[in-house]
Amino acid sequence: MDTKRRTGRQLKSADSAGSGSRAPRLSEVLAESIENIQGELGYSPDLKVRKVEIGVENPVQAAALHLSGLADKTSVNEFVVGSLLLNTDGWAQEYEDSSPDLPALLLSRILEVGEAEVQEDWNDIMLAVLSGDTAILIDGYTLAIICETRGGETRSVEESSSQMVVRGPKDGFVESVGTNVSLIRRRIRSSKLRLEFMKLGTETKTHVAMMYMKEIANEDLVEEVRERLNRIANEEVLESGYLEELIQDKTFTPFPTIYNTERPDVVAGNLLEGRVVVIVDGTPFVLILPAVFTQFFQSAEDYAQRFDIAILMRIVRYVSFIVLLLGPSVYIAFTTYHYEMIPTTLLINLLSQRENVPFPAFVEALLMEGAFEILREAGVRMPRAIGQTVSVVGALILGSAVVEAGIITPIMVIVIALTGIASFAIPAYNMAIAGRIIRFAFLLLAGMFGFYGITLGLIVLVAHMNSLRSFGLPYLSPFVPLSVMDQKDTILRLPVWLMEPGQSPQQIRAEMPEFKQVTSGHESELAPLIKKNENRGKQPKGEGEAK
Amino acid sequence: MKMRRLCTFLLAVLQLLLPLVLTGCWDSVELNRRAIVSGVAIDRGEGEKEKYVVSFQVIVAEEISGKNTRGISPVVLYTGKGRTMFEALANASRQTARFLSLGHVRVLVISEKLAREGIKDMLDVLERESDTRLTSLIFVAKGQPASELMSTMTVFSKIPANDLVEKLETTSKQFGYNFRMEVDDVIRGIQLRGGGPVINGVFTDGSREKADSNDNFKTIVPHAILKVSELAAFKDDKLKGWIKGDAALGTVLLHNKIKEYPVVISHPQGGYIAFNVYQSQVRLTVAAKDPEHPVFTVKISQQVSIKENANELNLISPATVVDLSSHVIKDTTRKIKDAIDTARKYNSDYLGFGEAMERENPQGWKKVMKHWEDIFADCEYKIEADAVIRHTDMRSNSFQVNP
Repeated sequence: MDTKRRTGRQLKSADSAGSGSRAPRLSEVLAESIENIQGELGYSPDLKVRKVEIGVENPVQAAALHLSGLADKTSVNEFVVGSLLLNTDGWAQEYEDSSPDLPALLLSRILEVGEAEVQEDWNDIMLAVLSGDTAILIDGYTLAIICETRGGETRSVEESSSQMVVRGPKDGFVESVGTNVSLIRRRIRSSKLRLEFMKLGTETKTHVAMMYMKEIANEDLVEEVRERLNRIANEEVLESGYLEELIQDKTFTPFPTIYNTERPDVVAGNLLEGRVVVIVDGTPFVLILPAVFTQFFQSAEDYAQRFDIAILMRIVRYVSFIVLLLGPSVYIAFTTYHYEMIPTTLLINLLSQRENVPFPAFVEALLMEGAFEILREAGVRMPRAIGQTVSVVGALILGSAVVEAGIITPIMVIVIALTGIASFAIPAYNMAIAGRIIRFAFLLLAGMFGFYGITLGLIVLVAHMNSLRSFGLPYLSPFVPLSVMDQKDTILRLPVWLMEPGQSPQQIRAEMPEFKQVTSGHESELAPLIKKNENRGKQPKGEGEAK
Repeated sequence: MKMRRLCTFLLAVLQLLLPLVLTGCWDSVELNRRAIVSGVAIDRGEGEKEKYVVSFQVIVAEEISGKNTRGISPVVLYTGKGRTMFEALANASRQTARFLSLGHVRVLVISEKLAREGIKDMLDVLERESDTRLTSLIFVAKGQPASELMSTMTVFSKIPANDLVEKLETTSKQFGYNFRMEVDDVIRGIQLRGGGPVINGVFTDGSREKADSNDNFKTIVPHAILKVSELAAFKDDKLKGWIKGDAALGTVLLHNKIKEYPVVISHPQGGYIAFNVYQSQVRLTVAAKDPEHPVFTVKISQQVSIKENANELNLISPATVVDLSSHVIKDTTRKIKDAIDTARKYNSDYLGFGEAMERENPQGWKKVMKHWEDIFADCEYKIEADAVIRHTDMRSNSFQVNP
């Protein structure tokens, strides 16, 4: 099946190349070229063609093509078309004397746009037009001058809705990769900040930017990310989630191994720690990699608030993750297997609650968890006006009516509510949903084996987490392998002056392994684990000098 | 290749899920299938076949904290008989609708009759059974069947067993004549060579006629009240007698279990003076070079406050205070002496002298442990008591002292 798919794709690409060579090419006749481009786009009405004449005595036919909506109207009008029309007098003589090539002259003397180049390749021209650039076709030349006129409507920079803070910067990424890059550049005014562009997706040709700090980020890591990105041969890259799935180390795990954020300050901080950032055009969610477990419990606010409060909040987050994982299952284990561990008074309370409840505690928990998930799912996509209703109905129905009807015990409602709230206390949404999935496994184990099952489950869970790597970095580092010096920014958040600038908290530079096996995660479904680093713990030279 | 791996994976998942359907949940018991036992009373039945008559005080949870109560008793008593404790438990299940769950037994009451006969056989099940806890409190029912203690309604807790526990805790904090004695302590006490455990006594005061119904406390003065009483002194696993008064307090002191206790002295200048001993630390040491003639030293240091001083003593003067503390020292010395005398009377070293000896001179202990009773009966001992009056509470001199 695998081979079949691959040959299918190859055939397709060969097909498109073949068709390109057959008909639509730039021709020396302007009208033909225009016709070809219009034909390629299916005579789309938003392709605007502006025909002009260059020169007075021997006018040359030319045309400026752009897609309305994608191109910035002002640039096209004033700097492209305007400049073509304005200056036709002064240079006409010159042109006739020297009779050099017209495009070069246009570029050097006439066009007022900031960025323009001569492009001969048909595909590149099409891509440029589809990206919002303006193509100038000139009669008699089989080339086009591409003027950078990208623009059109984008969302303005607003506060990110998914990661809010009380104190800290309020700007968030938008859907435009250019704006996003500028938001990062504005924070790190360093020449070490490197930016690489690539176009991914065979059909979507999405702009993807990769950023890293030269000399801080491990070069092997950068090379690895670049390679994994370049291997992507998907048709579509519409969101950074597509990329995440294609380049992550392991698919079959509930845990995210790549961090995503809407916040430029988080990205800047991570860049300075030596991580690589991948920005995808069309989404405000930016990927940060490699990511370790502790990262998902950090919030931008930790660094804005006092360190002691930050530590407390982090502990709260870890505790709520444990509550999220084990809340209902511990309750099940307690009541059905280990009743002797409940304090007597509480037990009497529970007993009287359970007296007339029809379902076993396990079924009760499943029912409530299911109901809660439904509510949550309903609430997420609700129009804001109806959202109110959902929460009221949810609170009423699930909170009191169910208890009054004697279907569910009040304590179960408390446990489920606590679990639900705990899932919101985790700063990273993708880590919270990981916890939500694993919770059901623990529920099952607790229902079958009590605490014995929970313990077994925890062992498997920790073993699994230990097997995870994010671009070669052990997922549980710096706990496993333990590095005492790197605990400064994990559960703890030491005062800033104690976290030496030369040391990246997650040991990225010191710990980056050599990459032996690499995949894009796309060719085979299971990305193989990156080999353990044999040089772990050795300080690379760069860092020694930095101190 | 890919498909095959996927298939294997799915098969593995299926295999993991199958046991769920097959086994059910082997030892899971829903809470509403359980009858929680709060207290157990153990009586001596007639003859060998019904040696143990075990009564279980079972909590009726709905009656205690439920919304719709039926007005029935908050606990019920089920009784089972058998040659062993376990048989009696199984026997009792004929009457109970739910599984008798012993995980929350807080009180075990043994009848005096059984205690005099010996309790070591019945203790094994408490250690072996996984449900029962070794932190349950043990009592001896003084002069009455143990089941009566479990079937007496109490005012402050709907569960009589809890009421008994609370009573013990209160009195051991305030009065000092009793202390917590758990199953674990009893079992260790029985293993003391030449000694035995000390167990709190308990009895019901008043008429038993209405004791087991709500009528018990329909009047302001309850008809029957559960009372914690004296200490039962054991030799090995058999009850020998009861320790009362000063001897009981001395015994608690020697066990180092005292928290607070009142001391009252009659002062030569007239009137009684009451003290509160709020801290006392006892150390038992022994000079045991010659194991046949050990010399024990009881060192005790106490901190005292004056609680009542209804006379004209000048408490501002340090001399007076020092003089008063010497009275406390005398009182403490007497209590300890009483305790040792009582232990000798019962011929049981429940005070732990043998233990101190073993710690000091393990080789010597091995030589004398067989006839430790004889040595304990007439060994030498010294009491070095010390008491400091730390404060006189809210007043210095009494208002009776005219300025």
